[in-house]
Amino acid sequence: MEALNGLLTGFGVILTPANLYLCFLGSLIGTLVGVLPGVGPLAALALLLPVTFTLSPIGGMVMLASIFYGAMYGGSTTSILLNIPGEAASVVTCIDGHQMARQGRAGPALGIAAIGSFIAGTLGVVIMTFFAPAIAAAAIRFGPPENFALMVLGLVCTLFMISGSTIKGVLMMALGFLTAAVGLDVVNGRERYTFGSVDLSGGIELLAVVIGLFGVAEILSNVETMAKTTLLADRIRGLWPSLADWRASWRAILRGSGLGFMLGMVPGGGPVTAAFMSYALEKRIATQPDRFGKGAIEGVAGPESANNSAVAGSLIPVLSLGIPSNPVTALLLGALIIQGIQPGPLFIAQRPDLFWGIVASMYVGNVFLLLLNLPLVGLWVQFLRIPYRVMFPVVLLLCVVGTYSANKNVFDLWVMLGFGVAGYVLRKLEYDLAPFVIAFVLAPLLEQSLRQSLVMSPDGAMILIKRPVTALLLAASVALTFLMFRRRTKTEGGLP
Amino acid sequence: MFERALNVFWIVLGAASAAYAWSLGVVGPAGPESGLFPFIASTIVSGAGIILLLRPSTQVRAPNFPRSSGLWRVLGVILGLIVMAAGMPYLGFSVASFITMIILLRTVDRSSWLSAVTLAFLSTASVFWLFGHLLGMALPRGPWGW
Amino acid sequence: MKWAGIACALVVALLSAPAGAQSDPKADLAKLKPKDFPTQPIEFTVVYPAGGGMDVSARLLAKYVENLSGDRIIVNNRTGGAGMVGHSYLATQAKPDGYTVGVIASLLWGDAMLRAQGRWSFTDLEPIAYVNSDALIWVGSTEGPYKGMSIKDVVNAAKDKPNTIRVATVPGSMWDYILDQIEANSGAKFLRVPFQGGGAGITALIGGNVDIAQGFYSEFRGHLEGGKVAPLAVAAAGRLDFLKDMPTFNEAFGSNEYLWQLVRYAVVPKGTPADRKVYLAATVQTAMKDPELIAEYRKQGVFFDPKLQNSKDLTADLNAYAEVERQFYVKTGRLK
Repeated sequence: MEALNGLLTGFGVILTPANLYLCFLGSLIGTLVGVLPGVGPLAALALLLPVTFTLSPIGGMVMLASIFYGAMYGGSTTSILLNIPGEAASVVTCIDGHQMARQGRAGPALGIAAIGSFIAGTLGVVIMTFFAPAIAAAAIRFGPPENFALMVLGLVCTLFMISGSTIKGVLMMALGFLTAAVGLDVVNGRERYTFGSVDLSGGIELLAVVIGLFGVAEILSNVETMAKTTLLADRIRGLWPSLADWRASWRAILRGSGLGFMLGMVPGGGPVTAAFMSYALEKRIATQPDRFGKGAIEGVAGPESANNSAVAGSLIPVLSLGIPSNPVTALLLGALIIQGIQPGPLFIAQRPDLFWGIVASMYVGNVFLLLLNLPLVGLWVQFLRIPYRVMFPVVLLLCVVGTYSANKNVFDLWVMLGFGVAGYVLRKLEYDLAPFVIAFVLAPLLEQSLRQSLVMSPDGAMILIKRPVTALLLAASVALTFLMFRRRTKTEGGLP
Repeated sequence: MFERALNVFWIVLGAASAAYAWSLGVVGPAGPESGLFPFIASTIVSGAGIILLLRPSTQVRAPNFPRSSGLWRVLGVILGLIVMAAGMPYLGFSVASFITMIILLRTVDRSSWLSAVTLAFLSTASVFWLFGHLLGMALPRGPWGW
Repeated sequence: MKWAGIACALVVALLSAPAGAQSDPKADLAKLKPKDFPTQPIEFTVVYPAGGGMDVSARLLAKYVENLSGDRIIVNNRTGGAGMVGHSYLATQAKPDGYTVGVIASLLWGDAMLRAQGRWSFTDLEPIAYVNSDALIWVGSTEGPYKGMSIKDVVNAAKDKPNTIRVATVPGSMWDYILDQIEANSGAKFLRVPFQGGGAGITALIGGNVDIAQGFYSEFRGHLEGGKVAPLAVAAAGRLDFLKDMPTFNEAFGSNEYLWQLVRYAVVPKGTPADRKVYLAATVQTAMKDPELIAEYRKQGVFFDPKLQNSKDLTADLNAYAEVERQFYVKTGRLK
């Protein structure tokens, strides 16, 4: 079969000492970058781009790609241990992962995250191997109407995620929408809510919001009580996931893999959206959804798998069509262009060594990462023993640098501080912050897609019904909304 | 009490935002204008605020706000971050972060001066080396060049 | 004495430029290097996200300048507001100490004239070297009802059936402006579908969601080679030598106003010390003469505007282009 031939070519290319070393180095850097709060794969890739000039094209791409998915492995570490996301895609892991850590189960949480990431990452590459061109051809037809419907579905799924008061959750989502509107209106270039400030005209940086709401707010909460000197309640109960953990997680891992892969491919999707939707999915179909938020392992297994397979998914459009679906793949594309290579429909045919080399490196990279991360679990868990009074200033400093790394603009630090204080206060008043972040991420694309669709359609809103995929997704959203309201009125005895 | 104040805040915020959105234009000849989505979102914010305000007070749990020492610790962290953000453009990353670390370690934890200075110096130096030198990120420099 | 030294440096710079292969460029640069400079890495500021066309140009330039001068260069992306945040930073906040070099595009002029609201002007940034130019190209799909048409056919079709031909555009920029011109001159009416950049429009074109897309060569080259898109016309003064069969808009419509190009050049903030400015200018200009760099740029599909390449006064020539753009804004009522 052609795919297997290609794969053999790829392994032939990748299994040289130099390329293997670069794959390992990228995995290591990626893990580190994922662990550091704030600094995500985008910042790391931008910083390391010049290094790839001195490398061969395959070497450079292998290293950059492994940083990308490596970061998805490392991102869960601080989420679980400190309740501070390593990057935006790991925000949902904080919710249940940290609760597991508090119950002494940090080891199993980290272990399941690593293993789930491995399974999902490998599955994603397998699908890439056999179906890349076909999938790419389908993905390209995803236009504004389909994007809009997908975003709507994403928002509806978010409603499922809301823990606590539904009204407060909806309020948070609406606020997320408003915050996302600050800046330039993409459709006509007008400024909204900028009040003459140049910094605001650039919009509010997602990283600053995430680090503020989940990093700084968390530190403020902990610092307030300082009841315990370390984060860990009692002794650590075991380092490895138990059989019960496995039984609970394996389906979540598979579901997360599939969902993440599909979401990685569409524009505006990617690991962040994939992780959120996976969490919502797991919560929705769980038999006991109340377990979520209190240390349900599916809440770690699903999202962590989803963000890894989303990486493989997002590489398909860029490698087989030359079309990036998120900023990280746009950067990878730029790296290829600098090397003089122009990915497009002919990329696989013209440079099979490059394409299959990258694919093969992903198999190898996932193995490296598993071997790197599992032993590290024991090390990370020891971090919990460091006295908090020493740890938190360093973590705060890393948060500052991480946030700054996004735009090199000090204004983002003020945003981070502002959202940190707001998050701290809102947590006390029992507002769930995750829906805010999801709405913030999805809103711009939702609004842009809807307005684009209405402009390009000869009969206005009918385009949303006439295009089959769009109609299907919208129908699913409507159905899910009904189901959600029915369930909430049943289980929580009323809405507010 | 605080809950009520917050709910009123939501109502006011939503109303002000809706008014601003309206001024941007809500619907135009080509469909939605710049103000439509913000207008809808603002209305939801106000509406939610109203519903929350009207809830019976039995459903509302009083939040526990920090007292004395806890409050000072929280304020200490916030002060540290303010110093960082305000100071970085003028003092450069290294000095600003050193000062911030000292503030954090002293106010929040009452470390001794020696351990505070040591830890502040070590962490600032290692972060600066890791990001500024190894990774090549352009961290702001003060008037003294570092 | 200091002025004599600077005058000497300028003379050396002017003399060493045409000398070319006979003198050693690295040695010449070393002679120009001011004392105590640089003691820290020099920042090349790019106001667009990493991986994009501007970023690629800047990083290639940084690579060659670093090799030539031995100074450490860090490319820094200060993004936001479609370039506005970065432009404002360069014009108002960047310290004029020689450690900041902006590698920018002529989109600066639009930002300065239409959006800066008097807070800064593009004269706050002093050009030191020309990098390259990119011209806006219209592409059509190789499938669908408009395949095989020439640019004149397309415009005529848009005249016959107003508001049916969907064109991808980026609001508030040259993508819109050229549409304004064509529609005003021919009576055609296109349906403008907004996107955030040229690349997104090309994606939509291939997916059948728009009929015409606008972009730069590097954005659609892969698709061209894959046979998915067909270039229609370019908004430049002359045909591009790597797309010889594609006419210019001016040719097709017998005009000379369809000139929409992105001019990339390097700037320093106003007030940078003269000796450092001369040194930085020399490093970039020397790098721009390196045939390897030129070859790499040609692979990106950019072209080199002869007027700017051989310019004796870069600032004046760039300002002349800026003035043309300003006239357009006044004529179309965007500027008073």
